[in-house]
Amino acid sequence: MDMASILYLGVTFGLFIIFVLIVRNTYRRRNKEEKEAPKYRMMNDD
Amino acid sequence: MGKPQYHTDIVKSFVNWSLVWGVVAVLVGVIVSFQMVNPDLNYPPYFTFGRLRPIHTNAGIYGWGVGTIFAMFLYMAQRLCKTPLWSLGLAKFQLWLFNITIAASAVTLLLGYSSTLEYHEMEWPIDIMIVVLWVTFSINIIMTIIKRKEEQMYISLWYMMAAIIGIAILFTVNALAVPVSAFKSYSIFAGTNSANVQWWFGHNAVAMALTAPPLAMFYYFLPKTTGVPIYSHRLSIISFWSLIFMYLWTGAHHLLWTPVPDWIQTLAMAFSIMLIAPSWGSVINGYLSMKGQWHQMRDNYLVKFLILGITFYGLQTLQGPMQAIRSFSAFIHYTDWVPGHIHMGTMGWVSLVSVAGIYFLLPRIYGREVYSIPLANLHFWLVVIGQLIWSTSMWIAGVLQAGMWNAMNADGSLTYTFTETMVEMYPYWWIRAIGGIIYLIGILVFIYNVYMTVQKGKEPAPKLLEVEGRA
Repeated sequence: MDMASILYLGVTFGLFIIFVLIVRNTYRRRNKEEKEAPKYRMMNDD
Repeated sequence: MGKPQYHTDIVKSFVNWSLVWGVVAVLVGVIVSFQMVNPDLNYPPYFTFGRLRPIHTNAGIYGWGVGTIFAMFLYMAQRLCKTPLWSLGLAKFQLWLFNITIAASAVTLLLGYSSTLEYHEMEWPIDIMIVVLWVTFSINIIMTIIKRKEEQMYISLWYMMAAIIGIAILFTVNALAVPVSAFKSYSIFAGTNSANVQWWFGHNAVAMALTAPPLAMFYYFLPKTTGVPIYSHRLSIISFWSLIFMYLWTGAHHLLWTPVPDWIQTLAMAFSIMLIAPSWGSVINGYLSMKGQWHQMRDNYLVKFLILGITFYGLQTLQGPMQAIRSFSAFIHYTDWVPGHIHMGTMGWVSLVSVAGIYFLLPRIYGREVYSIPLANLHFWLVVIGQLIWSTSMWIAGVLQAGMWNAMNADGSLTYTFTETMVEMYPYWWIRAIGGIIYLIGILVFIYNVYMTVQKGKEPAPKLLEVEGRA
């Protein structure tokens, strides 16, 4: 495996870490109401 | 605070023009399907399969698909941001440029100018027009989002932004070329790099043009139609980010068993399998949003379009990853199975959701009730039956074709010549052409219904505007 391949996989892993943080933030219990609020507000946008 | 004055005339214009290009795409598709069964229908040099086929794909993806995206994004962005468009003038310029670009693409393809890159056949002057068009559109949507009155963004806006940014990056990179004359250029990439970039673009054009925008529409129109919010906004966010994280790595699954480095092929295969999770996250979210509302499948024609659409999306996103597995790819790649797969996505998923969006919009942009709900139901059944005939015939043909290609005699020689395998395809190509005609009739019924709505539709009752689609 050359440097380009290692870099490619490194970027992939970095993105995976960011993704894990997004999941953690989205599913934190204290964030539930805030994260679900847009689905109710969009019902009255006309 | 007063109600914002949304711009609807520009949405109307994009809806109308996307319908025009949609009819062109399906009509040319039917013509090329008959050219397959009867080669005498090729009239060189212009009206040949080789020149008409890219007109079919480009009119479908960019004329109908992107035209509808423009209409829906301009409609949804204003409402989800609770603010009018940032610039109506820019949107009007975009409309003209859009039509000029699509018309120029059709003419140059007919004249035989082609970059030879699939789904990116237009030559460099038109590439520049497309970049200007996309930048114009992007600025307007992004600026509308920036000046929004809603702090938190609904999931549809996330998908819209992904499409805007994704298409800009993909198209620009794949368009990098050195012009050698007014209508000829050569890609700056060569060999396996060229193939890799092409399918990084090709597959992700499916992601950013034919997945993210219809998902934005689905998440917007399903709750609006049923009158019930989506099941989980959090699940939609996770599905979104995982889709974005995984999709961009999968393009090389089009290049399995090629000289592209083995580890890139394996990476693409692995990410393609992982992609089932975010895709089905949206499918399950859609189904769970119907909890207690399944009766609307019977009495609300819009729900039928949307739920069948998301079901085709679910099937598509199971079939796709299976095709990305090396052993399965070795069997079906280059056969007629593949057009069966892609048309389930375009005729099933993308078109059903887009059509639902247009039906939903009609009373709101024209101020008239949909002319005939029975005709809308007829349209639904014609396109579903046409699509199923189309795709099923190709799946059967593909398996037969692959079986014949792989058949060997005891001495290791091939059992069938290539011509013999072609001859076996004719009945299936006939069935496909018939499926295409049924689908085209469905589209013409739709156009008639839209035309009559504009001409003779009744003024809608206020209640209808709250929950659209009830029969």
